[in-house]
Amino acid sequence: MTTAQRLRITGGTVYDPANGVDGVVRDVCIEDGKVVTGLPAGAPRLDASGMIVMPGGVDIHSHIAGSSVNHGRRLQPEEHAVDPVPAPRLDGPDAGEGGPARSGTGGTIPSTFATGYRYAGLGYTTVMEAAVAPLFARHAHAELDDTPIIDAGLFALLGNDEYLFRQIAAGERARARDYAAWVLRAAGAYAIKVVNPGGVELWKRGAPPRNVTGLDDPVGSTAVTPRRILETLTDAGNELGLPHPVHIHCNALGQPGNAATTLETMRTLAGRRAHFTHLQFHSYGGGRGKGWQSGAKDVIEYVNAHPEVSVDVGQVMFGPATTLTADAPVGYLLHASSGRKWVNVDVELETGCGIVPYTYKEKAAVAALQWAVGLELFLLATDPWRVVLSTDHPNGGSFLSYPELIRLLMDRAYRDEQIKRVNAKLLKGSALADGLAREYTLNEIAIVTRAGPARLLGLTEKGHLGPGADADVTIYATGGDAATMFATPRYVLKGGTQVVEEGQLRRAPAGRRLAVRPEYDDAVLRDLKRYFDLHATVSFENYPCAGSA
Amino acid sequence: MSAERVVEHVTCLGCGCACDDIAAVVRQNRIVEARNACFLGRAWFGDGRVPQETRAGGRTVSLEAALTQAATILTQARRPLVYLAVELSCETQRAAVGIADRLRAVLDSATSEIAAAVLAAQRRGRATATLGELRQRADLVVFWGVDPAERYPRYASRYAVAAGGLHSRTVVAVDVGGHRGPGDADARVTISADVEVDALGVMRAIALGHPLPDVLALRPAVQLARRMMQAQYVALVHDAEPDGTPADPDRAEGLIALAQALNGPTRCALSTLRAGGNRSGADAVVTWQTGFPCAVDFGRGYPSYRPHDGAAALVARREIDATLVIGSPGSVPERVARGLASVPTVAIGPYASAAAFEPAVAVDTGVAGIHEGGMAFRMDDVPLPLRPSVAGPPVAAVVVRDLATRLVSP
Repeated sequence: MTTAQRLRITGGTVYDPANGVDGVVRDVCIEDGKVVTGLPAGAPRLDASGMIVMPGGVDIHSHIAGSSVNHGRRLQPEEHAVDPVPAPRLDGPDAGEGGPARSGTGGTIPSTFATGYRYAGLGYTTVMEAAVAPLFARHAHAELDDTPIIDAGLFALLGNDEYLFRQIAAGERARARDYAAWVLRAAGAYAIKVVNPGGVELWKRGAPPRNVTGLDDPVGSTAVTPRRILETLTDAGNELGLPHPVHIHCNALGQPGNAATTLETMRTLAGRRAHFTHLQFHSYGGGRGKGWQSGAKDVIEYVNAHPEVSVDVGQVMFGPATTLTADAPVGYLLHASSGRKWVNVDVELETGCGIVPYTYKEKAAVAALQWAVGLELFLLATDPWRVVLSTDHPNGGSFLSYPELIRLLMDRAYRDEQIKRVNAKLLKGSALADGLAREYTLNEIAIVTRAGPARLLGLTEKGHLGPGADADVTIYATGGDAATMFATPRYVLKGGTQVVEEGQLRRAPAGRRLAVRPEYDDAVLRDLKRYFDLHATVSFENYPCAGSA
Repeated sequence: MSAERVVEHVTCLGCGCACDDIAAVVRQNRIVEARNACFLGRAWFGDGRVPQETRAGGRTVSLEAALTQAATILTQARRPLVYLAVELSCETQRAAVGIADRLRAVLDSATSEIAAAVLAAQRRGRATATLGELRQRADLVVFWGVDPAERYPRYASRYAVAAGGLHSRTVVAVDVGGHRGPGDADARVTISADVEVDALGVMRAIALGHPLPDVLALRPAVQLARRMMQAQYVALVHDAEPDGTPADPDRAEGLIALAQALNGPTRCALSTLRAGGNRSGADAVVTWQTGFPCAVDFGRGYPSYRPHDGAAALVARREIDATLVIGSPGSVPERVARGLASVPTVAIGPYASAAAFEPAVAVDTGVAGIHEGGMAFRMDDVPLPLRPSVAGPPVAAVVVRDLATRLVSP
């Protein structure tokens, strides 16, 4: 038996914040992969007495599949060699439609099968791949087909694409919106992602300054600026009624003083739904020549006061990481400053890609500041529904470090101990160094790791345990510290299938793909066809993934 | 008169250019014309006829019988090799890696033939671009010891030279020993083969702004480096595929390092030419499933990377006791193929029944892109759909998946 048709999870303490359930002992009933209100008395039971029951984790921003991810994988045989992943012993040789168990390798960018197993082993059942060049979408889907268990969607990169620039320059707002809708369908994507709007195009042009320096820098035409790109795509996302608003990686990532850019971007879009991703990387004070300091307080105060804004934090965790970004000029700067190996891929008409392996060290002043800024954002946030957990895996650290991050949020004494270990040079005046007493509750952790991301993504059947929800459930044994508890769930159910039992991965069904299909005016197709014939190296007819556009 | 139909937007895998503007004209299940294709492409499509045999022990057998025997050979082997040859869709490659994992086999592919370049890219990374970026932006194209007209006939017209881009363009041919750049280049630079690696080093030093002694033999390289630094966007084009003369292993690293260094003073992308049959797809698939691009040993129950001890070395040492070749056997490198005659071998792929190493079991399949759909990668890792134009033998992906289900341990 691979799927429990019916199951009553009994005796567990349930945290289901979307339904206002905050640590209540109650049953969760499952039938045919969904949560239901009740089951007949004789239904099979899973005894969760003394355990914590939450919806399956939802990762709103991660990099797990596609061309850039695979370049990063190929670049680092050394990390794979020291983290072998033998095939799990699944329950039966072909447990679930995901096929037989597969071996792989880990590191900061695990092989696809290992990625699915490890996310599921962590109690995560839904993951968003946050940056896919539409030109490479077909590749990303193929990798996700080899990533078992988790349901996944991908975000399509827009905002450095030539066709969009032309529409903005021509004042064709409706055409830009139709184009965004077409791209989402062509790529089989779930949301619009904007990365360093305009900046990647300037990097590819070659002439200095090779990046934008402010929201009003011209990108080719003076009518095309980061501000206009952001407004156009944010409005497009909202007018298309997408379940997740435009997902924004601001300009000036990783630069001292960039909190000002971030705030200006937020103010530009004030009143419009928008999600700002890996906010930690965009919340630095100081400036060029003035050094680094935390800018977290100003940024999070703005977020707190503006309900239309949501963010994920992009926490930096000490240890190995791989910086992997469409923000290619940042990749070059990291390579130039660290001397480490570097992949750059300029992607025709669309975007870029920069990859540099990186290690965040406690004793490095900037890494310590980044770590502190992320924690400040978490601890100063007043609405956990809008400030959710991410490490921008693998940029700020692996998703495997989430349990450690959760402990930092829940356990002040532990956090204070860690603060003493880090380089304090740049922490002067930071709220964290001044002592933040807040400790996240289990309910708040349930919000920032599942209920909140699901709500921000508009995934109405994820992130909660009410009737009609997907039966994605994670059950933790209590007893150890928070990091241990969250690292080793006792049971994980995905769509009603028990994938983890007694802490062991036992089944690996295939995951589902999450995608939107917004409507657009067909007139855009004729124009796009002309544009492709003139400028693209891939036929217009071969660009969309099968069955999507 | 017979009905003619035209399959449009077909992707050609005759070389790594993967031109996807081919119109295959089909009459009575024969390709009578491959419009837009170059001479290599026309030869690759042919008329679409391929052998359709299924053989075991020298006799024609049913597919069922062939796969049963194949499964017996492979499951009885203690040290099997799975070799990924060319002409496969990524879908077939994915299933093939799954078999290697299941069998705890050694897995290798044509990528090991360019291991020096793969390893150099793993040490340093690489600065590159999709071919459309070169077309849009490169104002200086440097062909380093290669004339694409020979093995990549449409590279120049579609991507790098004549295609309408944003700039006027200068093409420089670098002749390295006998490896000559295009004859119609705007400028030529001659570098003798014995100083090639030194030349690349000196050029890199110049790009990094390091002072250098004046060496007569390297002056042309120095001048070229200065010229590259003055360009706005440089395409540095080289051929990754061996063509009989083994390249100096340091050459690949020199090219990678030079292209990266040029991104300080200007922008530069290294464009690596690769042959056809979805070679880049094999790299990508093996990487995403194992973490390594080639030369993977599943013997311990997980992937280990053995780039210096791949299929050729194991075959030479007679460590391999059975082989599964998936793909076109004619593409298996001689140093691997010569060892296959002495061990039971299963061949599944286009022309499997014609394999020179006389497989114990041979299942002819269609050619990805001619008879089979799916996905393949262009030389720059752009994924493209495959559009079959004629019907052919059993589909490779289906056959390989079928074989996989027969390998389930009891």
